[in-house]
Amino acid sequence: MLLKLSTTKGNMLVMNKRLIICTAFLTVAAVTVISSCSNNRSTGLEFARNMYDPIGYNPDQPNKNFKDGKTAQNPPAGTMPVGFDKYDVYPNTLEGYQAASAGMANPLPVSVATLEQGKTLYLNMCSHCHGLEGKGDGSIVKLGKFPAPPSYSTGNSSRGGTMKDLTDGKIYHTITHGVNLMGPHKSQLSPEQRWKIVMYVHELQKLQ
Amino acid sequence: MRSISLFFRSVTKSLVLVTLLCSMAVSSANAQDAAAGAAIFKQKCTACHGIDKAVVGPALKGIDTKYDEAWLLKWIKNAPAFIASGDAKAVKAAEYSPAMMSAFPELSDDDIKNIVAYVKVGDVKPAADPNAAAGAAGAPADKGGVSNFMLFGLLAVIIIAFLVILVLNRVITTLERVMLQKKGIAVEEEDGAETKDRFEGLKKLSKNKKFILFIVILCVIFLGSAGWKGMWETGVHTGYQPVQPIKFSHQLHAGVNKIDCQYCHSGAFTSKNASIPSLNVCMNCHNYVTASEKYDGKTSPEIMKIYNALDYNEETKVYGNDTKPVEWIRIHNLPDLAYFNHSQHVSVAGIECQNCHGPIQTMEEVYQYSPLTMKWCINCHKQTEVNHKDNPYYDKLIAAHDKLKKGGKVTAAVLGGLECAKCHY
Repeated sequence: MLLKLSTTKGNMLVMNKRLIICTAFLTVAAVTVISSCSNNRSTGLEFARNMYDPIGYNPDQPNKNFKDGKTAQNPPAGTMPVGFDKYDVYPNTLEGYQAASAGMANPLPVSVATLEQGKTLYLNMCSHCHGLEGKGDGSIVKLGKFPAPPSYSTGNSSRGGTMKDLTDGKIYHTITHGVNLMGPHKSQLSPEQRWKIVMYVHELQKLQ
Repeated sequence: MRSISLFFRSVTKSLVLVTLLCSMAVSSANAQDAAAGAAIFKQKCTACHGIDKAVVGPALKGIDTKYDEAWLLKWIKNAPAFIASGDAKAVKAAEYSPAMMSAFPELSDDDIKNIVAYVKVGDVKPAADPNAAAGAAGAPADKGGVSNFMLFGLLAVIIIAFLVILVLNRVITTLERVMLQKKGIAVEEEDGAETKDRFEGLKKLSKNKKFILFIVILCVIFLGSAGWKGMWETGVHTGYQPVQPIKFSHQLHAGVNKIDCQYCHSGAFTSKNASIPSLNVCMNCHNYVTASEKYDGKTSPEIMKIYNALDYNEETKVYGNDTKPVEWIRIHNLPDLAYFNHSQHVSVAGIECQNCHGPIQTMEEVYQYSPLTMKWCINCHKQTEVNHKDNPYYDKLIAAHDKLKKGGKVTAAVLGGLECAKCHY
């Protein structure tokens, strides 16, 4: 348009200026409109935002009522959540580990359904390091990103004895508190879930 | 004189040859030992030790100079007994960490010597094949580069072509203008007259009612459609991708490393909220994984953010008290008037996370995949069949139904009226 006009009209500086300003303005306006429409960094137009914001506090929200500003607080010292009593009494020491071995047994009766649940939990929570069959060849280990844990069936425990002889209490203690490079998993697994995994790990210990 | 120099030359030559051969033999012997040692090291030691990096136990570099071989043999074979025997060095070494070094009675003296040999040359090996590593790393990078290069090249060609057209047009214009000017002043006068005409034409147009109506209709259509679209998209956050405080990549963690969703979002299976993992879950892996190979031996700045938030000292592996929460920005947010429970969908219905969250294992940065509108919920609820097998809730309902059929009475309690969450949610 601009070029065409100038070809036919010859020396028309004033007109050109106006056109240039006009087109520039239109372009800028269009660009702002388009970019504001497709900005995925914002939630876009919102009506009644207060309907999205909860009246009560969500666990992952900031909270001015607490000193550290978090809603999710640690349970007060000396308290235990429902279902967690009596299982976490063995301390994270070698003595606690041995005491757990002597003093704990899986409270869940062995059944196919429980073993299935244990398997699902094992695959979701453990297999990326310990491998699908507990041989210490999980996906991260195969990628060389994390050192291999010992195999349940053929390896030796770093705390003495073979892995296939580990008792209920020892496995439970290890899931709860971790050992060496394995971290504690008590915050991710309830005691019942841990016992289900213990039951399934016993099956993996029998593999050759 | 000449003969002496000749003799000297030959002697030096042979000397050089001999030393070269010797060093080669030594290095190859070392390499053999180290290769055997490396295998044992990876099997038995890496759970607690690194060569350059302190893990649970100390970094092992320089261990061969710090302790003599006889001491190392005793220590590695049975550290607990060695410490108990009261050896001064052993007792001091045990003070490094409360975790005691395990006994390895199954290792022979040769095995341990091989391990020590490996620890000695351990970092020579990776230094020897950076070429191979670079080649391996270079190949995929090249592949990625080619497609990027082509894309950008194409864009550049288009832009350049466009610029050329513009410039040529400009040139034509000026040339034409010059020609017109050469023809005479009459042309310019004509131009001036036409300008006035143009403005007059505009004034005429503004008085043309049909034209004004046309413009108004255009405006109404434009504003109407924009408004309609805006209203449909109000409060719908599809595609929302905020900048998170830590550049956590689901593509790397869930896609490449194949860590199950439940490992971090353990709440999804058991509670209303899928739960953002607390930092102790990160530390289950990142007490070891620092991605330092990508950052010249330094810990990745993104992983440093975890350490800083936890006030964790990488060197001493001690947690301080100056902790601060990582303020993740929530992406999926239902208004509070809608109740949504993750465990109901994930555990009971067995829906895959990707059903609603999209291809999360390919997302470098998470965005909202589904609209989370009421229509979207309802459409899925209309299509999804309920799997009532092995579900005591439905067994109870069926039992209650049978009781009603037989003329019995059913109370609210039978239908779950005593569940806490019926009232308190």
